[in-house]
Amino acid sequence: MQVTETSTEGLKRELKIVITASELAEKLDAYLEDLKGRAQIRGFRPGKVPKAHLKKLYGKSAMAEIVNTVIGETSNKALEERSEKAAMQPQIKLSDEDAEKILSGDLDLAYDLSYEIVPEFELAPVDGIAIERPVVEVADSEVEERLTQIAEGARSYVAREEGAAAQNGDRLTISYLGKIDGEPFEGGADDRAAIFLGQGRFIPGFEEQLIGLKVGDKKVIEVTFPEDYQAKHLAGKPATFDIEVFEVAAPGELKLDDDWAKTLGMDSLDALKDIVKQQIESQNGGQTRQKVKRQLLDALDAQYSFELPATLVEQEFNAIWGQVEAEMKAAGKTFEDEDTTEEKARADYRKIAERRVRLGLVLSKFGEREKVQVNEQELQRALIERARQFPGQEKAVFDFYRRDANALASLQAPVFEEKVVDVLLGLIKVTDKTVTKEELFKDDEEPAV
Amino acid sequence: MTNLKHYDIIRTPVVTEKATIQAENNKVVFDVAKTATKPEIKAAVEQLFSVKVKSVNTLVRKGKTKRFRGIIGTQSNVKKAIVTLEEGHSIDITTGL
Repeated sequence: MQVTETSTEGLKRELKIVITASELAEKLDAYLEDLKGRAQIRGFRPGKVPKAHLKKLYGKSAMAEIVNTVIGETSNKALEERSEKAAMQPQIKLSDEDAEKILSGDLDLAYDLSYEIVPEFELAPVDGIAIERPVVEVADSEVEERLTQIAEGARSYVAREEGAAAQNGDRLTISYLGKIDGEPFEGGADDRAAIFLGQGRFIPGFEEQLIGLKVGDKKVIEVTFPEDYQAKHLAGKPATFDIEVFEVAAPGELKLDDDWAKTLGMDSLDALKDIVKQQIESQNGGQTRQKVKRQLLDALDAQYSFELPATLVEQEFNAIWGQVEAEMKAAGKTFEDEDTTEEKARADYRKIAERRVRLGLVLSKFGEREKVQVNEQELQRALIERARQFPGQEKAVFDFYRRDANALASLQAPVFEEKVVDVLLGLIKVTDKTVTKEELFKDDEEPAV
Repeated sequence: MTNLKHYDIIRTPVVTEKATIQAENNKVVFDVAKTATKPEIKAAVEQLFSVKVKSVNTLVRKGKTKRFRGIIGTQSNVKKAIVTLEEGHSIDITTGL
Protein backbone atom coordinates (compact mmCIF):
# COMPACT_ATOMS: atom_id res chain seq x y z
CA MET A 1 0.00 0.00 0.00
CA GLN A 2 1.29 3.37 -0.97
CA VAL A 3 -0.10 6.59 0.41
CA THR A 4 0.62 10.00 -1.03
CA GLU A 5 -0.88 13.22 0.12
CA THR A 6 -2.24 15.18 -2.80
CA SER A 7 -3.62 18.19 -1.00
CA THR A 8 -3.97 19.71 2.42
CA GLU A 9 -6.17 22.68 2.77
CA GLY A 10 -7.25 23.79 6.17
CA LEU A 11 -8.92 20.75 7.64
CA LYS A 12 -9.41 19.08 4.29
CA ARG A 13 -7.13 16.26 3.36
CA GLU A 14 -6.80 14.34 0.14
CA LEU A 15 -4.83 11.18 -0.12
CA LYS A 16 -4.00 8.99 -3.05
CA ILE A 17 -3.74 5.39 -2.09
CA VAL A 18 -2.25 2.79 -4.41
CA ILE A 19 -2.44 -0.93 -4.00
CA THR A 20 -0.55 -2.96 -6.60
CA ALA A 21 -2.31 -5.53 -8.73
CA SER A 22 -0.09 -8.29 -7.39
CA GLU A 23 -1.24 -7.53 -3.85
CA LEU A 24 -4.81 -7.84 -5.01
CA ALA A 25 -4.04 -11.05 -6.88
CA GLU A 26 -2.67 -12.55 -3.69
CA LYS A 27 -5.85 -11.70 -1.87
CA LEU A 28 -7.92 -13.16 -4.68
CA ASP A 29 -5.94 -16.37 -4.51
CA ALA A 30 -6.57 -16.72 -0.83
CA TYR A 31 -10.23 -15.96 -1.38
CA LEU A 32 -10.59 -18.60 -4.08
CA GLU A 33 -8.76 -21.13 -1.97
CA ASP A 34 -11.34 -20.56 0.70
CA LEU A 35 -14.16 -20.73 -1.82
CA LYS A 36 -12.87 -23.98 -3.27
CA GLY A 37 -13.78 -25.93 -0.20
CA ARG A 38 -17.37 -24.66 -0.27
CA ALA A 39 -18.31 -24.23 -3.90
CA GLN A 40 -20.74 -26.74 -5.38
CA ILE A 41 -20.59 -26.76 -9.13
CA ARG A 42 -22.25 -29.21 -11.51
CA GLY A 43 -19.84 -31.76 -12.85
CA PHE A 44 -17.50 -31.50 -9.92
CA ARG A 45 -17.41 -33.07 -6.50
CA PRO A 46 -17.29 -30.52 -3.71
CA GLY A 47 -13.76 -29.27 -3.18
CA LYS A 48 -12.52 -30.74 -6.45
CA VAL A 49 -13.11 -27.72 -8.65
CA PRO A 50 -9.87 -26.53 -10.25
CA LYS A 51 -8.94 -23.05 -9.13
CA ALA A 52 -8.56 -21.82 -12.68
CA HIS A 53 -12.14 -22.79 -13.34
CA LEU A 54 -13.35 -21.06 -10.19
CA LYS A 55 -11.53 -17.93 -11.13
CA LYS A 56 -13.21 -17.90 -14.48
CA LEU A 57 -16.60 -18.30 -12.87
CA TYR A 58 -16.33 -16.10 -9.81
CA GLY A 59 -13.21 -14.00 -10.42
CA LYS A 60 -15.02 -10.75 -11.11
CA SER A 61 -17.42 -10.76 -8.21
CA ALA A 62 -14.73 -12.02 -5.87
CA MET A 63 -12.47 -9.23 -7.00
CA ALA A 64 -15.18 -6.66 -6.45
CA GLU A 65 -15.64 -7.89 -2.91
CA ILE A 66 -11.92 -7.86 -2.29
CA VAL A 67 -11.52 -4.35 -3.68
CA ASN A 68 -14.32 -3.19 -1.42
CA THR A 69 -12.82 -4.57 1.74
CA VAL A 70 -9.34 -3.48 0.73
CA ILE A 71 -10.53 0.08 0.23
CA GLY A 72 -12.20 0.07 3.62
CA GLU A 73 -9.17 -1.41 5.32
CA THR A 74 -6.58 0.74 3.66
CA SER A 75 -8.46 3.98 4.17
CA ASN A 76 -8.76 3.23 7.86
CA LYS A 77 -5.14 2.22 8.00
CA ALA A 78 -4.01 5.31 6.17
CA LEU A 79 -5.81 7.50 8.67
CA GLU A 80 -4.40 5.51 11.52
CA GLU A 81 -0.86 5.78 10.24
CA ARG A 82 -1.21 9.50 9.90
CA SER A 83 -2.82 9.51 13.33
CA GLU A 84 -5.69 11.64 12.11
CA LYS A 85 -9.32 11.33 12.90
CA ALA A 86 -11.88 11.96 10.21
CA ALA A 87 -14.75 14.15 11.28
CA MET A 88 -17.11 12.20 9.08
CA GLN A 89 -17.03 9.17 6.85
CA PRO A 90 -14.25 9.81 4.29
CA GLN A 91 -15.19 10.16 0.64
CA ILE A 92 -13.69 7.66 -1.74
CA LYS A 93 -13.27 8.41 -5.39
CA LEU A 94 -12.68 5.69 -7.94
CA SER A 95 -13.44 6.08 -11.61
CA ASP A 96 -15.69 3.45 -13.17
CA GLU A 97 -13.41 3.05 -16.12
CA ASP A 98 -10.52 2.09 -13.93
CA ALA A 99 -12.70 -0.09 -11.79
CA GLU A 100 -13.35 -2.39 -14.73
CA LYS A 101 -9.65 -2.88 -15.30
CA ILE A 102 -8.88 -3.29 -11.65
CA LEU A 103 -11.45 -6.02 -11.36
CA SER A 104 -9.83 -7.98 -14.13
CA GLY A 105 -6.51 -7.57 -12.35
CA ASP A 106 -4.83 -5.51 -15.05
CA LEU A 107 -4.43 -2.31 -13.14
CA ASP A 108 -3.16 -1.27 -9.76
CA LEU A 109 -5.92 -0.19 -7.45
CA ALA A 110 -5.56 3.54 -6.98
CA TYR A 111 -8.16 5.73 -5.36
CA ASP A 112 -8.53 9.16 -3.86
CA LEU A 113 -9.54 9.52 -0.29
CA SER A 114 -10.84 12.88 0.79
CA TYR A 115 -11.95 13.76 4.27
CA GLU A 116 -11.90 16.41 6.90
CA ILE A 117 -10.00 15.87 10.05
CA VAL A 118 -11.23 16.66 13.49
CA PRO A 119 -9.49 19.92 14.29
CA GLU A 120 -6.58 19.73 16.65
CA PHE A 121 -6.93 22.09 19.50
CA GLU A 122 -5.54 22.40 22.95
CA LEU A 123 -7.96 22.30 25.78
CA ALA A 124 -7.73 25.63 27.42
CA PRO A 125 -7.43 25.65 31.19
CA VAL A 126 -10.83 25.94 32.75
CA ASP A 127 -9.81 27.51 36.03
CA GLY A 128 -10.18 30.92 34.43
CA ILE A 129 -13.86 30.45 33.98
CA ALA A 130 -15.98 31.83 36.73
CA ILE A 131 -19.63 31.15 36.83
CA GLU A 132 -22.37 32.61 38.91
CA ARG A 133 -24.90 30.15 39.99
CA PRO A 134 -28.20 31.92 40.38
CA VAL A 135 -29.75 30.62 43.53
CA VAL A 136 -33.12 31.49 44.83
CA GLU A 137 -33.49 31.47 48.56
CA VAL A 138 -36.77 29.90 49.33
CA ALA A 139 -38.32 32.46 51.60
CA ASP A 140 -40.40 31.35 54.52
CA SER A 141 -43.21 33.48 53.24
CA GLU A 142 -43.23 31.44 50.03
CA VAL A 143 -43.51 28.24 51.98
CA GLU A 144 -46.27 29.73 54.07
CA GLU A 145 -48.07 30.79 50.96
CA ARG A 146 -47.90 27.31 49.51
CA LEU A 147 -49.08 25.87 52.82
CA THR A 148 -52.04 28.22 52.92
CA GLN A 149 -52.96 27.18 49.43
CA ILE A 150 -52.95 23.57 50.48
CA ALA A 151 -54.97 24.38 53.57
CA GLU A 152 -57.59 26.41 51.72
CA GLY A 153 -58.23 23.50 49.44
CA ALA A 154 -59.38 21.52 52.44
CA ARG A 155 -60.94 24.20 54.62
CA SER A 156 -63.74 23.06 56.85
CA TYR A 157 -66.87 25.07 57.56
CA VAL A 158 -68.78 25.14 60.78
CA ALA A 159 -72.45 25.97 60.89
CA ARG A 160 -73.21 29.26 62.63
CA GLU A 161 -75.60 29.27 65.50
CA GLU A 162 -79.26 29.80 64.80
CA GLY A 163 -80.20 33.31 63.74
CA ALA A 164 -76.70 34.45 62.89
CA ALA A 165 -76.42 36.65 59.83
CA ALA A 166 -74.30 35.56 56.89
CA GLN A 167 -71.03 37.39 56.54
CA ASN A 168 -68.59 37.73 53.78
CA GLY A 169 -66.51 34.54 53.49
CA ASP A 170 -69.28 32.32 54.77
CA ARG A 171 -70.65 29.29 53.07
CA LEU A 172 -74.38 29.39 52.40
CA THR A 173 -76.57 26.52 51.50
CA ILE A 174 -79.49 27.87 49.49
CA SER A 175 -82.08 26.94 46.99
CA TYR A 176 -82.81 29.40 44.28
CA LEU A 177 -85.06 29.83 41.30
CA GLY A 178 -84.11 32.33 38.67
CA LYS A 179 -86.68 34.09 36.51
CA ILE A 180 -86.50 36.43 33.59
CA ASP A 181 -89.68 38.46 33.01
CA GLY A 182 -91.41 36.21 35.49
CA GLU A 183 -90.54 33.06 33.54
CA PRO A 184 -88.13 30.50 34.99
CA PHE A 185 -85.18 29.96 32.64
CA GLU A 186 -83.02 27.01 31.99
CA GLY A 187 -80.13 26.48 34.39
CA GLY A 188 -81.49 29.14 36.68
CA ALA A 189 -82.54 26.87 39.52
CA ASP A 190 -80.75 24.75 42.06
CA ASP A 191 -81.62 23.01 45.29
CA ARG A 192 -79.40 23.30 48.31
CA ALA A 193 -76.40 24.63 46.47
CA ALA A 194 -73.30 25.67 48.36
CA ILE A 195 -72.30 29.25 47.70
CA PHE A 196 -69.13 30.77 49.03
CA LEU A 197 -69.61 34.43 49.69
CA GLY A 198 -66.91 36.77 48.57
CA GLN A 199 -65.40 34.48 45.96
CA GLY A 200 -67.22 36.16 43.13
CA ARG A 201 -68.01 33.02 41.24
CA PHE A 202 -71.62 34.02 40.71
CA ILE A 203 -73.26 36.79 38.77
CA PRO A 204 -72.04 40.17 40.05
CA GLY A 205 -74.33 41.44 42.76
CA PHE A 206 -75.73 38.00 43.58
CA GLU A 207 -73.43 37.15 46.44
CA GLU A 208 -73.47 40.64 47.88
CA GLN A 209 -77.23 40.55 48.31
CA LEU A 210 -76.99 37.34 50.29
CA ILE A 211 -74.94 38.93 53.04
CA GLY A 212 -76.93 39.36 56.20
CA LEU A 213 -79.42 36.56 55.49
CA LYS A 214 -80.28 34.08 58.22
CA VAL A 215 -81.28 30.45 58.18
CA GLY A 216 -84.88 30.14 57.03
CA ASP A 217 -84.91 33.52 55.31
CA LYS A 218 -86.57 33.88 51.96
CA LYS A 219 -85.72 36.70 49.67
CA VAL A 220 -86.12 37.78 46.09
CA ILE A 221 -83.06 39.42 44.68
CA GLU A 222 -82.61 41.24 41.42
CA VAL A 223 -79.50 41.04 39.34
CA THR A 224 -78.53 41.82 35.79
CA PHE A 225 -76.51 39.33 33.82
CA PRO A 226 -73.32 40.93 32.57
CA GLU A 227 -73.06 41.76 28.87
CA ASP A 228 -70.30 39.25 28.32
CA TYR A 229 -72.04 36.39 30.10
CA GLN A 230 -71.11 33.07 28.51
CA ALA A 231 -74.71 31.99 27.98
CA LYS A 232 -75.72 34.25 25.09
CA HIS A 233 -79.49 34.19 25.67
CA LEU A 234 -79.01 35.47 29.22
CA ALA A 235 -76.35 38.08 28.64
CA GLY A 236 -77.35 41.61 29.62
CA LYS A 237 -80.81 40.61 30.86
CA PRO A 238 -82.22 41.50 34.26
CA ALA A 239 -83.34 38.55 36.33
CA THR A 240 -84.90 37.83 39.68
CA PHE A 241 -83.95 34.98 41.97
CA ASP A 242 -86.18 33.51 44.65
CA ILE A 243 -83.85 32.48 47.46
CA GLU A 244 -84.34 30.26 50.44
CA VAL A 245 -81.50 29.86 52.93
CA PHE A 246 -80.98 26.51 54.66
CA GLU A 247 -77.66 26.89 56.31
CA VAL A 248 -75.12 29.54 57.11
CA ALA A 249 -71.69 28.18 57.89
CA ALA A 250 -68.64 30.11 58.98
CA PRO A 251 -65.24 29.15 57.65
CA GLY A 252 -63.19 27.07 60.03
CA GLU A 253 -60.01 28.65 61.19
CA LEU A 254 -57.01 28.03 59.00
CA LYS A 255 -54.78 26.33 61.45
CA LEU A 256 -51.33 25.53 60.26
CA ASP A 257 -50.22 23.31 63.07
CA ASP A 258 -48.97 19.82 63.80
CA ASP A 259 -52.44 18.34 63.96
CA TRP A 260 -53.31 19.61 60.55
CA ALA A 261 -50.00 18.32 59.20
CA LYS A 262 -50.86 14.93 60.62
CA THR A 263 -54.09 14.80 58.67
CA LEU A 264 -51.95 15.15 55.56
CA GLY A 265 -49.82 12.20 56.64
CA MET A 266 -46.86 14.20 57.93
CA ASP A 267 -45.23 13.82 61.32
CA SER A 268 -45.33 17.48 62.18
CA LEU A 269 -45.81 20.88 60.65
CA ASP A 270 -42.05 21.33 60.36
CA ALA A 271 -41.77 18.14 58.37
CA LEU A 272 -44.46 19.37 56.04
CA LYS A 273 -42.71 22.67 55.68
CA ASP A 274 -39.48 20.94 54.82
CA ILE A 275 -41.17 18.93 52.13
CA VAL A 276 -42.86 21.94 50.62
CA LYS A 277 -39.55 23.75 50.68
CA GLN A 278 -37.81 20.89 48.96
CA GLN A 279 -40.48 20.87 46.31
CA ILE A 280 -39.97 24.53 45.57
CA GLU A 281 -36.22 24.13 45.65
CA SER A 282 -36.23 21.30 43.16
CA GLN A 283 -38.40 23.34 40.82
CA ASN A 284 -35.91 26.17 41.01
CA GLY A 285 -32.97 23.78 40.84
CA GLY A 286 -33.74 22.65 37.32
CA GLN A 287 -33.79 26.22 36.14
CA THR A 288 -30.60 27.03 38.01
CA ARG A 289 -28.80 24.14 36.39
CA GLN A 290 -29.88 25.28 32.95
CA LYS A 291 -28.58 28.75 33.59
CA VAL A 292 -25.29 27.47 34.92
CA LYS A 293 -24.85 25.13 32.00
CA ARG A 294 -25.54 27.94 29.64
CA GLN A 295 -22.99 30.16 31.23
CA LEU A 296 -20.45 27.40 31.07
CA LEU A 297 -21.11 26.75 27.41
CA ASP A 298 -20.97 30.44 26.65
CA ALA A 299 -17.62 30.67 28.39
CA LEU A 300 -16.30 27.65 26.52
CA ASP A 301 -17.58 28.99 23.26
CA ALA A 302 -15.70 32.20 23.84
CA GLN A 303 -12.49 30.36 24.65
CA TYR A 304 -12.19 28.37 21.46
CA SER A 305 -12.02 29.64 17.96
CA PHE A 306 -10.51 26.81 15.97
CA GLU A 307 -11.53 26.03 12.45
CA LEU A 308 -14.50 23.71 12.14
CA PRO A 309 -14.97 20.86 9.70
CA ALA A 310 -17.31 22.30 7.09
CA THR A 311 -19.14 19.03 6.54
CA LEU A 312 -20.05 18.73 10.19
CA VAL A 313 -21.32 22.28 10.32
CA GLU A 314 -23.26 21.70 7.15
CA GLN A 315 -24.86 18.61 8.55
CA GLU A 316 -25.81 20.30 11.79
CA PHE A 317 -27.11 23.31 9.93
CA ASN A 318 -29.26 21.20 7.67
CA ALA A 319 -30.74 19.46 10.65
CA ILE A 320 -31.60 22.76 12.33
CA TRP A 321 -32.80 24.33 9.13
CA GLY A 322 -35.04 21.41 8.34
CA GLN A 323 -36.61 21.73 11.75
CA VAL A 324 -37.06 25.47 11.44
CA GLU A 325 -38.66 25.18 8.06
CA ALA A 326 -40.99 22.47 9.25
CA GLU A 327 -42.01 24.63 12.18
CA MET A 328 -42.57 27.62 9.94
CA LYS A 329 -44.70 25.56 7.68
CA ALA A 330 -46.69 24.11 10.56
CA ALA A 331 -47.28 27.57 11.98
CA GLY A 332 -48.10 28.89 8.52
CA LYS A 333 -45.61 31.71 8.85
CA THR A 334 -43.06 33.20 6.56
CA PHE A 335 -39.79 34.83 7.46
CA GLU A 336 -41.27 38.22 6.73
CA ASP A 337 -43.77 37.68 9.53
CA GLU A 338 -40.90 37.24 11.92
CA ASP A 339 -39.32 40.45 10.77
CA THR A 340 -36.37 38.82 9.10
CA THR A 341 -35.49 37.58 5.68
CA GLU A 342 -34.64 34.04 4.82
CA GLU A 343 -30.99 34.92 4.27
CA LYS A 344 -30.72 36.58 7.61
CA ALA A 345 -32.31 33.64 9.33
CA ARG A 346 -29.99 31.30 7.49
CA ALA A 347 -26.97 33.21 8.69
CA ASP A 348 -28.25 33.17 12.22
CA TYR A 349 -28.88 29.48 12.25
CA ARG A 350 -25.54 28.79 10.66
CA LYS A 351 -23.92 30.53 13.57
CA ILE A 352 -25.86 28.38 15.94
CA ALA A 353 -24.80 25.28 14.05
CA GLU A 354 -21.19 26.34 14.27
CA ARG A 355 -21.50 26.92 17.96
CA ARG A 356 -23.04 23.53 18.48
CA VAL A 357 -20.37 21.75 16.51
CA ARG A 358 -17.62 23.62 18.30
CA LEU A 359 -19.05 22.94 21.73
CA GLY A 360 -19.71 19.34 20.81
CA LEU A 361 -16.06 18.88 19.88
CA VAL A 362 -14.82 20.67 22.97
CA LEU A 363 -17.09 18.74 25.29
CA SER A 364 -16.20 15.41 23.76
CA LYS A 365 -12.54 16.21 24.12
CA PHE A 366 -13.03 17.16 27.73
CA GLY A 367 -14.95 13.97 28.23
CA GLU A 368 -12.08 12.01 26.75
CA ARG A 369 -9.58 13.70 29.00
CA GLU A 370 -11.63 13.20 32.11
CA LYS A 371 -12.50 9.67 31.06
CA VAL A 372 -16.20 10.26 31.25
CA GLN A 373 -18.18 7.23 30.35
CA VAL A 374 -21.85 6.56 30.23
CA ASN A 375 -22.62 3.34 31.99
CA GLU A 376 -25.40 0.91 31.42
CA GLN A 377 -27.57 2.16 34.27
CA GLU A 378 -27.49 5.75 33.18
CA LEU A 379 -28.39 4.75 29.69
CA GLN A 380 -31.24 2.71 31.05
CA ARG A 381 -32.48 5.69 33.00
CA ALA A 382 -32.34 7.90 29.95
CA LEU A 383 -34.25 5.27 28.06
CA ILE A 384 -36.97 5.15 30.67
CA GLU A 385 -37.15 8.93 30.67
CA ARG A 386 -37.53 8.84 26.93
CA ALA A 387 -40.22 6.20 27.04
CA ARG A 388 -42.17 8.29 29.51
CA GLN A 389 -42.58 10.96 26.91
CA PHE A 390 -44.75 8.62 24.90
CA PRO A 391 -47.42 7.43 27.28
CA GLY A 392 -49.11 4.29 26.14
CA GLN A 393 -46.34 3.39 23.75
CA GLU A 394 -43.61 2.70 26.26
CA LYS A 395 -43.06 -0.79 25.03
CA ALA A 396 -42.71 0.25 21.42
CA VAL A 397 -40.16 2.88 22.42
CA PHE A 398 -38.16 0.34 24.39
CA ASP A 399 -38.17 -2.10 21.54
CA PHE A 400 -37.12 0.55 19.09
CA TYR A 401 -34.07 1.48 21.10
CA ARG A 402 -33.22 -2.15 21.86
CA ARG A 403 -33.11 -2.98 18.22
CA ASP A 404 -31.39 0.07 16.88
CA ALA A 405 -27.87 0.60 18.14
CA ASN A 406 -27.68 3.97 16.41
CA ALA A 407 -30.74 5.27 18.18
CA LEU A 408 -29.31 4.14 21.47
CA ALA A 409 -26.13 6.03 20.70
CA SER A 410 -28.14 9.17 20.06
CA LEU A 411 -29.70 8.68 23.45
CA GLN A 412 -26.28 8.37 24.96
CA ALA A 413 -25.03 11.69 23.64
CA PRO A 414 -27.03 14.01 25.91
CA VAL A 415 -26.25 11.88 28.95
CA PHE A 416 -22.57 12.08 28.09
CA GLU A 417 -22.84 15.82 27.67
CA GLU A 418 -24.51 16.22 31.04
CA LYS A 419 -21.82 14.21 32.71
CA VAL A 420 -19.05 16.22 31.11
CA VAL A 421 -20.75 19.41 32.21
CA ASP A 422 -20.89 18.01 35.72
CA VAL A 423 -17.20 17.22 35.68
CA LEU A 424 -16.37 20.65 34.33
CA LEU A 425 -18.47 22.34 36.95
CA GLY A 426 -16.41 20.51 39.53
CA LEU A 427 -13.25 21.97 38.03
CA ILE A 428 -14.18 25.59 37.74
CA LYS A 429 -15.09 28.26 40.17
CA VAL A 430 -18.77 28.51 40.76
CA THR A 431 -20.00 31.24 42.98
CA ASP A 432 -23.49 31.30 44.29
CA LYS A 433 -25.46 34.41 43.71
CA THR A 434 -28.80 34.97 45.23
CA VAL A 435 -31.36 36.22 42.81
CA THR A 436 -35.06 36.67 42.86
CA LYS A 437 -37.37 34.18 41.34
CA GLU A 438 -38.24 36.49 38.48
CA GLU A 439 -34.61 36.86 37.53
CA LEU A 440 -34.09 33.15 37.58
CA PHE A 441 -36.94 32.42 35.26
CA LYS A 442 -36.20 35.23 32.88
CA ASP A 443 -35.58 33.96 29.39
CA ASP A 444 -32.23 34.13 27.75
CA GLU A 445 -32.31 35.75 24.42
CA GLU A 446 -30.31 33.37 22.32
CA PRO A 447 -31.58 29.88 21.84
CA ALA A 448 -29.84 27.46 24.13
CA VAL A 449 -27.55 24.77 22.87
CA MET B 1 -16.43 -19.51 -40.03
CA THR B 2 -19.46 -18.86 -42.12
CA ASN B 3 -20.64 -22.42 -42.16
CA LEU B 4 -23.58 -22.44 -39.77
CA LYS B 5 -23.69 -26.19 -39.92
CA HIS B 6 -20.73 -26.29 -37.58
CA TYR B 7 -22.78 -24.78 -34.83
CA ASP B 8 -25.24 -27.65 -35.18
CA ILE B 9 -22.54 -30.23 -34.84
CA ILE B 10 -20.85 -28.90 -31.72
CA ARG B 11 -23.56 -28.53 -29.11
CA THR B 12 -21.73 -27.55 -25.96
CA PRO B 13 -18.42 -28.05 -24.20
CA VAL B 14 -18.41 -30.51 -21.34
CA VAL B 15 -17.25 -28.96 -18.09
CA THR B 16 -16.66 -31.71 -15.56
CA GLU B 17 -13.86 -32.95 -13.39
CA LYS B 18 -12.98 -35.59 -15.87
CA ALA B 19 -12.98 -33.13 -18.75
CA THR B 20 -10.77 -30.65 -16.96
CA ILE B 21 -8.29 -33.40 -16.14
CA GLN B 22 -8.11 -34.35 -19.80
CA ALA B 23 -7.57 -30.71 -20.70
CA GLU B 24 -4.07 -31.09 -19.36
CA ASN B 25 -3.35 -33.58 -22.14
CA ASN B 26 -4.52 -31.08 -24.73
CA LYS B 27 -7.86 -32.80 -25.09
CA VAL B 28 -11.19 -31.02 -25.20
CA VAL B 29 -14.54 -32.67 -24.67
CA PHE B 30 -17.74 -31.62 -26.44
CA ASP B 31 -21.31 -32.77 -26.61
CA VAL B 32 -21.98 -33.20 -30.32
CA ALA B 33 -24.97 -33.96 -32.51
CA LYS B 34 -25.87 -37.65 -32.60
CA THR B 35 -25.47 -37.77 -36.33
CA ALA B 36 -22.06 -36.07 -36.38
CA THR B 37 -19.13 -38.03 -37.75
CA LYS B 38 -15.51 -37.70 -36.71
CA PRO B 39 -14.44 -35.81 -39.86
CA GLU B 40 -17.37 -33.44 -39.42
CA ILE B 41 -16.43 -32.79 -35.81
CA LYS B 42 -12.83 -32.23 -36.76
CA ALA B 43 -13.78 -29.72 -39.42
CA ALA B 44 -16.21 -27.93 -37.09
CA VAL B 45 -13.73 -27.57 -34.22
CA GLU B 46 -10.95 -26.43 -36.52
CA GLN B 47 -13.23 -23.82 -38.04
CA LEU B 48 -14.95 -22.54 -34.95
CA PHE B 49 -11.95 -22.29 -32.66
CA SER B 50 -9.23 -21.77 -35.27
CA VAL B 51 -7.10 -24.64 -34.04
CA LYS B 52 -5.56 -27.75 -35.54
CA VAL B 53 -7.10 -31.02 -34.48
CA LYS B 54 -4.93 -34.13 -34.22
CA SER B 55 -7.64 -36.70 -33.69
CA VAL B 56 -11.24 -37.16 -32.63
CA ASN B 57 -12.61 -39.95 -30.48
CA THR B 58 -16.34 -40.28 -30.01
CA LEU B 59 -18.64 -42.20 -27.74
CA VAL B 60 -22.37 -42.45 -27.30
CA ARG B 61 -23.64 -42.44 -23.76
CA LYS B 62 -26.87 -44.38 -23.79
CA GLY B 63 -29.83 -42.73 -22.07
CA LYS B 64 -31.01 -44.34 -18.89
CA THR B 65 -34.49 -45.75 -18.50
CA LYS B 66 -36.29 -43.65 -15.94
CA ARG B 67 -39.60 -44.05 -14.23
CA PHE B 68 -41.63 -40.99 -13.42
CA ARG B 69 -45.00 -41.42 -11.69
CA GLY B 70 -45.03 -45.01 -12.79
CA ILE B 71 -44.52 -44.22 -16.42
CA ILE B 72 -41.38 -45.52 -18.05
CA GLY B 73 -39.39 -43.06 -20.10
CA THR B 74 -35.99 -43.00 -21.65
CA GLN B 75 -33.39 -40.26 -21.50
CA SER B 76 -31.97 -39.39 -24.84
CA ASN B 77 -28.58 -40.70 -25.92
CA VAL B 78 -25.70 -38.25 -25.89
CA LYS B 79 -22.76 -38.30 -28.26
CA LYS B 80 -19.56 -36.93 -26.85
CA ALA B 81 -16.40 -36.17 -28.76
CA ILE B 82 -12.97 -36.09 -27.18
CA VAL B 83 -10.93 -33.88 -29.45
CA THR B 84 -7.15 -34.05 -29.21
CA LEU B 85 -5.51 -30.85 -30.37
CA GLU B 86 -2.19 -30.49 -32.08
CA GLU B 87 0.76 -29.44 -29.95
CA GLY B 88 0.66 -25.70 -29.19
CA HIS B 89 -3.08 -25.22 -29.74
CA SER B 90 -5.63 -24.65 -27.01
CA ILE B 91 -9.27 -23.82 -26.51
CA ASP B 92 -10.71 -21.82 -23.66
CA ILE B 93 -13.99 -23.61 -23.35
CA THR B 94 -15.58 -21.46 -20.69
CA THR B 95 -15.55 -18.36 -22.87
CA GLY B 96 -18.17 -19.93 -25.08
CA LEU B 97 -18.57 -19.92 -28.81
